[in-house]
Amino acid sequence: MHIDHQKNEIVFKIVYYGPGLSGKTTNLEYVHSQLDPGLCGDLISLKTSEGRTLFFDFLHLELGRIQGKKPRFHLYTTAGQARYAASRQVVLQGTDSLVFVVDSQRGRLADNFASLKELQNRLTQNGVAITQLPWLIQYNKRDLPMAEDVAVLERKLNIWEVPYIEAIAVTGRGVFLTLRKAIELIIKK
Amino acid sequence: MSGQPNGNSVILSEKSYQEINTYLGDLLQKSRASLCVFADMNGYPVSYKTTRTALNVDTLTALAVNDFSATAEIAKILGETQRFRYLYHEGIKQNLYLCNIGNHYLLIVIFGPHVNLGMIRMLSQHVAGKLDALLNRIRDEKDKVAKYMDVEFRTLLGQELDKAFGLKN
Repeated sequence: MHIDHQKNEIVFKIVYYGPGLSGKTTNLEYVHSQLDPGLCGDLISLKTSEGRTLFFDFLHLELGRIQGKKPRFHLYTTAGQARYAASRQVVLQGTDSLVFVVDSQRGRLADNFASLKELQNRLTQNGVAITQLPWLIQYNKRDLPMAEDVAVLERKLNIWEVPYIEAIAVTGRGVFLTLRKAIELIIKK
Repeated sequence: MSGQPNGNSVILSEKSYQEINTYLGDLLQKSRASLCVFADMNGYPVSYKTTRTALNVDTLTALAVNDFSATAEIAKILGETQRFRYLYHEGIKQNLYLCNIGNHYLLIVIFGPHVNLGMIRMLSQHVAGKLDALLNRIRDEKDKVAKYMDVEFRTLLGQELDKAFGLKN
């Protein structure tokens, strides 16, 4: 987090992490499409020629002044594909809160698990223990027929018992609740 | 090394800001650059001075910092023990110069083709040295976070978020 005493602003960094095609960019696209343009900037996406995230997506949100102070939020997604591991390390630096986006489909369980393990390792490399970081899990794609039961996903993935939210990011279900929770976890801390 | 490790907050006092602003103002004036940003490696613009209007400094900083951090990974692959000291991008109308400050901060300078790169490099390194010294001096002003985000602020922030996100009436 960054506090600017001169402008009386406080800035938080929130990162969406997860395996490729789990819906991280879709979360940000939905937030960007729904919010008053006065509250958010352009959605910056660094994409490959196939439209997959190459480095990160970035969205800047701000609220009006509270007690004279202006809260602002920098939202990032990481590139999900395995070959962009180094770029994920870079984006994770200095994150205040994290959303791990799970693809709920049964066939993606191993990918989710591998991504979670990688997250843990990358945080460690950045000097942060996963238990110290405010974070939550978003079980996305709950509408798909092959979606695994949340109870099963919880048992297999959420060994830290962090909060979770069910979502269908393409329709917006759970998207703002997730973001709200990610911010709440920072301010609680 | 100045600053704090990854994942920690950057909290500076008003006096420190004034000092940073003085350095940035001097750099802007002497170099004839159009923008000077002092940013942290987490992607936040700590402070900036500019002659340009309607510039999204937040986005520009986020992109520049990640650009610089990506090259730090390249440096590692090449066997460098430190990050690259500076990066330069040359355009037709604008050029971008990025200067590492103690591995945790970055100086971003944008300037036109009429300005000599050598001049930018010399002045930037001079200012980077001063900023590094300042960061080493102040170190930790972290205790101010709790005071800044008191209970009332946290409650009101929650209410504002619910309103903005359409979660409650």
